[in-house]
Amino acid sequence: MFNSEARSIKWLPWTLVLAVTLLIVPGLSSQAFAKEVFAEQAFAEEAFAKEVLAQEGEEEGGEPKVEWGQDVFYKDWEGNPLKGPISGFPAPELGEEDYNNYEFAPSRMLLWVANQQHLYFGSFVLAVPIFCMLIEFVGIRTKESDPVLSAKYDKLAQDLMKVSLTAYSWTAILGGILLFTFITLFPGFFKYMAGIFRPVMHVYALMFLAESGVLYVYYYGWEKMKDDPFLKWVHCSLAVLLNLIGTILMYLANSWATFMQAPGGIDEKGQFLGNIWHVIHSTLWNPVGVHRILGNIVFGGGIVGAYAAYHYLTAKTAEEKAHYDWMCYIAMFIAIFGLIPLPFAGYWLMKEVYAFRQQMGITLMGGIMAWLFIIQAVMIGLLFFGANSYLHNSMSRIKGSHRYMKYAKYMVLLLIVCFTMWMTPHTIVMTPAELKDMGGAQHPIVGHFGVMSAKNTAVNLMITTTILCFLLYQRANKKINVSWSTQGNAWIAAIFVLAALNIIFLGVYGYALPANQRVGLSVPQVTTTLTTLFAGTAINISMFKDSDSYGDIEWGTQSKVATYAIFLMAISFTWLMGLMGYIRSAVRLFWHVTEVVRDNSVDAYTLTIGEAGKMLTFNALFVWVQFVIVFWVGSLTAKKAPAKAPEGVPVPAQQQQ
Amino acid sequence: MNNVVKGILLYVVGWAAFHYGLFDLMKPKEFSWIANRYVYFLLFVFYCIGFNLVLKLKPPISLNGLVVWLLGLYFYTNILYPPVPWTLLITYMMLWTIGTFLYISQDPVTFAEFRKPIVKTVIGEYKIARYIVFIALPLLVGFGTYKSLEPKFEEPVELRTVHPAPPATTKVHGKSYKLEGLQNPFRTDEQDNYKDSFPFLDADKQEYMKSVTEGGTIFFQNCHYCHGDQLNGQGMFSHVFNPTPANFVDPGTIAMLRESFLFWRVSKGGPGLPNESTPWSSAMPPWEEHLKTEEIWKVILFEYWYTGWHPRTFDEESSSGGGE
Repeated sequence: MFNSEARSIKWLPWTLVLAVTLLIVPGLSSQAFAKEVFAEQAFAEEAFAKEVLAQEGEEEGGEPKVEWGQDVFYKDWEGNPLKGPISGFPAPELGEEDYNNYEFAPSRMLLWVANQQHLYFGSFVLAVPIFCMLIEFVGIRTKESDPVLSAKYDKLAQDLMKVSLTAYSWTAILGGILLFTFITLFPGFFKYMAGIFRPVMHVYALMFLAESGVLYVYYYGWEKMKDDPFLKWVHCSLAVLLNLIGTILMYLANSWATFMQAPGGIDEKGQFLGNIWHVIHSTLWNPVGVHRILGNIVFGGGIVGAYAAYHYLTAKTAEEKAHYDWMCYIAMFIAIFGLIPLPFAGYWLMKEVYAFRQQMGITLMGGIMAWLFIIQAVMIGLLFFGANSYLHNSMSRIKGSHRYMKYAKYMVLLLIVCFTMWMTPHTIVMTPAELKDMGGAQHPIVGHFGVMSAKNTAVNLMITTTILCFLLYQRANKKINVSWSTQGNAWIAAIFVLAALNIIFLGVYGYALPANQRVGLSVPQVTTTLTTLFAGTAINISMFKDSDSYGDIEWGTQSKVATYAIFLMAISFTWLMGLMGYIRSAVRLFWHVTEVVRDNSVDAYTLTIGEAGKMLTFNALFVWVQFVIVFWVGSLTAKKAPAKAPEGVPVPAQQQQ
Repeated sequence: MNNVVKGILLYVVGWAAFHYGLFDLMKPKEFSWIANRYVYFLLFVFYCIGFNLVLKLKPPISLNGLVVWLLGLYFYTNILYPPVPWTLLITYMMLWTIGTFLYISQDPVTFAEFRKPIVKTVIGEYKIARYIVFIALPLLVGFGTYKSLEPKFEEPVELRTVHPAPPATTKVHGKSYKLEGLQNPFRTDEQDNYKDSFPFLDADKQEYMKSVTEGGTIFFQNCHYCHGDQLNGQGMFSHVFNPTPANFVDPGTIAMLRESFLFWRVSKGGPGLPNESTPWSSAMPPWEEHLKTEEIWKVILFEYWYTGWHPRTFDEESSSGGGE
């Protein structure tokens, strides 16, 4: 029985690959596409506007009425700033009267808390429908081969959606609080933003309505559409629609933040130049969008994982333990899958930030924010350690895993060595005496780890190791029987060895290249890593055909270390998300909108690392308190009607026997 | 003899023999690819693994974990040279400790095995061990507290920002420059075309090398006292400065920066550093008071030529916004 469960799990990677591709490829290609289109569009627009102006000039015989402004970011096909008709008011110079505050806390802190809490919940409610879509899809696919397991998947998706429903209203409330905080505490700034984004804000509100509508039909129609195969597909399609609307919602909201950081579509005075798409589609819009989608998946996976882990620890019966162990597995599977490409999206975002303003890039990576980036490196390391610890521990309880467990220690060693490189800062904190002992500001050996070539190499090797661990986990209880098993194993080994060599070679080669070309090397490095993921998974799964099993996965025997590793990942990710959000936002320094609207409030200062850390910790703890409440509220309905397994249907623990 | 005791003895004796015997032989003054401290360390690791395999000792995971952890400590405190600052040592050992934990907790069996002696010590099954731990632990904490409270006379550690963010614009000799997109006017051609040329020798042949030569002359008249005649930050005055002068050969300095950054940094020197670079202890003078604008650009040109780095640039697409 659980053999079939293990078989059905193989759907999950493919479904995840498909989903990630569907979500990300449009994000990536739309940028290229938009820029291509833009050249023609800009040409046409400008030509049209000139024609109209000429006509007006002829008709009235005087000066044209429309005033033209130069875009701060977009350029025309000759490389000159793009011109557009001025269609808005100049950015205000904010004074004391534009800021309000309460006695008990600085306005900026209040806004920070409101914003972060809304973002945390927004991230969760956007992630859960992605999970539900995937899990429901896997459930439909397994229906014919294993109806019991299919029902289990379906129930899991429905349970997750139930929690998400409570979280959804909570998110809306937090959004309202955020909006009121903006209006009441930062009225001057908000007036300007509302002036620019007026239509986007209305579309956003309408999309929210659409999201709610689809969400309610999706959730409340679950039972009715469950049994009929056609209706079930319609129901699953609703999940796709729900995710599409959710993604659009997020992209619209992102445009406000990315505009504040790297504005476009306005002139130097902050006057809107008539093209709302330019304002939305500023340079950081796509990288932030992709980064957030992946981040949401990991965050959502972490929270669902922590929820399952908590229930696993408190479960009283073997059935419950088996169920929550399995749920931990599904959540971690999704979270780790999102975690693997996440650093690449981060690199892309940073590259775009650097390209937008060198000043901003340096402030982040070498300047005042650099120490926060070191903390970020620690947190990312914790995530990878947590993920690997979970995989090792989960693998060890699978029969047949003894064949691979002996490699675990070498993988840990590789992870630690890579992480040591990743963590070595370029500028080391030291006393003058230590400086003299070392003979200079850079250490002759570990000093080489301080630059991007070493860091990229380290992170790619860490990810490749995690992928390898993942593949071994997948095949832990399989006895491979295909005739080409030797060739298959040789291929997998060759792919990983060559990938590691290639990553190391490119890293070392990077030292001999100028910085702009060196940055380009990260692309083949990433491609190599992703090749191991896709090619490795593909060969690995193909080898499972006709395989024998050493024994089923004993659900309900997850070790305590693995369970706590899930908590570690969930908490680390919450904190990390807050940290990176803070860094991204704080890099504007004393600007509300970079170089356009200056922050003239009393709060326009950069926090010390300690103060920022306290705020981040408060936000992380606060949101977890809320999550506990939301999960508790979600569980109230379950308690009313205790779920009873219908007679004759084996529950997971029985299925093992 | 118990295998564990035998193992511990072999570790201790082996380490003493290696550390006090072989170590000095393996680190001659002149660097050698075979006789060096890192090869020595590898030999010691092979010894540790080897005697366990040969004698089939099969040590418990707790002993393995301890040995792995101690090997890390030994590497970072004795082998890695020159010694790393304590902040880095703490970081590295923290990572190594996490790694050791991942190793011992890789599956429930090894973890339970690791916990066994600890639990037995705590509940009193290992009586002597318990006495030792419960007496040693408070003493150790007391000693740590004493050490941390003991007055020290070291200079305080400074968390300086080494590459501060430049301003958007800078004013040099009365002219305002926007740093974004500012180019070196003397970078007329890619320097790789002149890799076989030499400043001073080929200065009359190509315009580009003439600028590099002039930059070099200015560098050796003004900058090399601190930044060194090999541009490695080891000039004759460098040792009295904190922070030390920048090492241009290092891939983390000028290789990562645009020329406009250098132009600002050279023109304004230490006094022109922004607030985030507090404390402003950089001894670099504001060179705009001593050099002409074009001289500053030529020095920058020379620095890149000499070190072989290219200034950081961005592809047209991303820096031009629309990218058309």
